[in-house]
Amino acid sequence: MYHINKIFALALIVLLTGCSIGGEKKIKIFSVEKPREKLDYPMPTALQLEDLKWIIITSKNAEEVFKKLEEAGIDPVLFGLTDKDYQLLSKNFARIRQKLQETNNLLEEYKKYYEPEEQK
Amino acid sequence: MFGQIKMVITILLIAGIAGAGMYVMKLRSDNAILKANQHKLETAITEQNKVLEKQKEDFTAILESNKKLNVLINTFKKDLQDLDKRFTKKNRDIGKLAIDRTKAIERIINKGGVNAKRCIELASGAEHTEAELKATKKSEINPECPALANPSYVPYQ
Repeated sequence: MYHINKIFALALIVLLTGCSIGGEKKIKIFSVEKPREKLDYPMPTALQLEDLKWIIITSKNAEEVFKKLEEAGIDPVLFGLTDKDYQLLSKNFARIRQKLQETNNLLEEYKKYYEPEEQK
Repeated sequence: MFGQIKMVITILLIAGIAGAGMYVMKLRSDNAILKANQHKLETAITEQNKVLEKQKEDFTAILESNKKLNVLINTFKKDLQDLDKRFTKKNRDIGKLAIDRTKAIERIINKGGVNAKRCIELASGAEHTEAELKATKKSEINPECPALANPSYVPYQ
């Protein structure tokens, strides 16, 4: 009887603690950050512009200018601008050049900020 | 009777020991969790410090970039003013000058055109020539865009 009680007591302990031994295995989830692929466009190629020649034509030299054009085998026709329009054209070109420079500069700054050298 | 009391005491004793064991196990598990939490907190603090440091660096880079762009925009304004001055300085009338000194003005305008063309090429990313980089005198520079074409040139005050 005494042994039966002992066995009963041990069975009771095992019954009570059995579920807490070992336990379920935990699932581990890892998140690995993958950096975004670089766009890596090359910088735009520089412009190479053609040379052009300005001819000033006044009422005094008009005949001479057209004669020279004919002698050189060039059509005796000129596309004209007044002095004021010439000034405006110069300023317009300066503004276009500045916008080009500003845009290129912004592009470089963006590239420097978002793709610094050590990340390349 | 005595046997039953003994059995109850034995059961209580065994249950007590088992309970104590489980309690110790629970304490150990709690301790492990607390240690893990502590480690996580320390890691989080380090990460936060790194983020703050990076933010500081970014702010400095942004300020630097803004400064550069502001300098560039001011240079643009000055270049435009200089161009305007060249046409209107001392009530200059380029039309009248062209009538009086046609050849000379034609030469000046053509030279200006070549310079302006070079400025556009440089603005689009063309490489500077050796002469452009070395130019320090007013006679050597490209007057259409000195800041862009001649980085070594310091304008006279």
